[in-house]
Amino acid sequence: MALDPDKIDSAFYDALRQHYSEEEIVELGAFIGFNIGYHTFFGKLKFYPMFAPDGRLVSQEESARIYGAVPGSLAAPQVTRHV
Amino acid sequence: MHIEPLAGEQIHDAELLELIRRCEALGVPDALFPRVLARVPDYAKALLRALVVSHAEGNVDHRLKEIIRVRLARTAGDPYFAGLRSARALTAGLDEKTIEAGAGRFEDDPRFTAAEKWALRYAREMYFNPEKIDAAFYAEGKKHFTEAQIMELGAFIAFHYGMQAFTRTLGVRPLPKKGG
Repeated sequence: MALDPDKIDSAFYDALRQHYSEEEIVELGAFIGFNIGYHTFFGKLKFYPMFAPDGRLVSQEESARIYGAVPGSLAAPQVTRHV
Repeated sequence: MHIEPLAGEQIHDAELLELIRRCEALGVPDALFPRVLARVPDYAKALLRALVVSHAEGNVDHRLKEIIRVRLARTAGDPYFAGLRSARALTAGLDEKTIEAGAGRFEDDPRFTAAEKWALRYAREMYFNPEKIDAAFYAEGKKHFTEAQIMELGAFIAFHYGMQAFTRTLGVRPLPKKGG
């Protein structure tokens, strides 16, 4: 959906229906779309998780050191599509 | 269309029906996408409320958000949302020429203010060149918008682009206009 939406065609949906109900497919699609939209936005706000992996409340500076300066989602190839 | 929408008589949740009515009145989305989402009623209610509130409420000009929304739909390659228009924005004077200008090369277009150009750049760079949205970019935005307005714009852009990425894969198109 994010990188190669042309691959999501009728055959792709037919394959999905072998594993999921129509309701579950809608649920998955909306969830994935929501995350595609928001991950880039959140990544550009320069904020990091409040808690370290061991559960400690940490400062934003320490969290940046733990989780990295660039969110992984921003390292993906950029979209270049137009209608 | 890869997932069939529910028929009107299959939707019984009063809150969901009211949200669909509100979407139809605005024109974005029309009744089609809500009836696909209605297969998962709790999702549908949360997502439709977020679509309408982020687009039609808040403290950023609704006409500017409508231009941004069409621009994003074209970026996502989604003919469904790209083909819909906000009745409220059109009533407020937004025309197709301005939408086309905002969805195209707006940088040197005198019809847009510096604030509007910053918002259009925000939408353009978010998914084409996110590395350009840095501290200097936000500092420029704060000359034109409050922090609350910038969050309103960012959340609007992220949410609508995400739903457009989804509707592109559904193979849906706008419903014919009533009487048209």
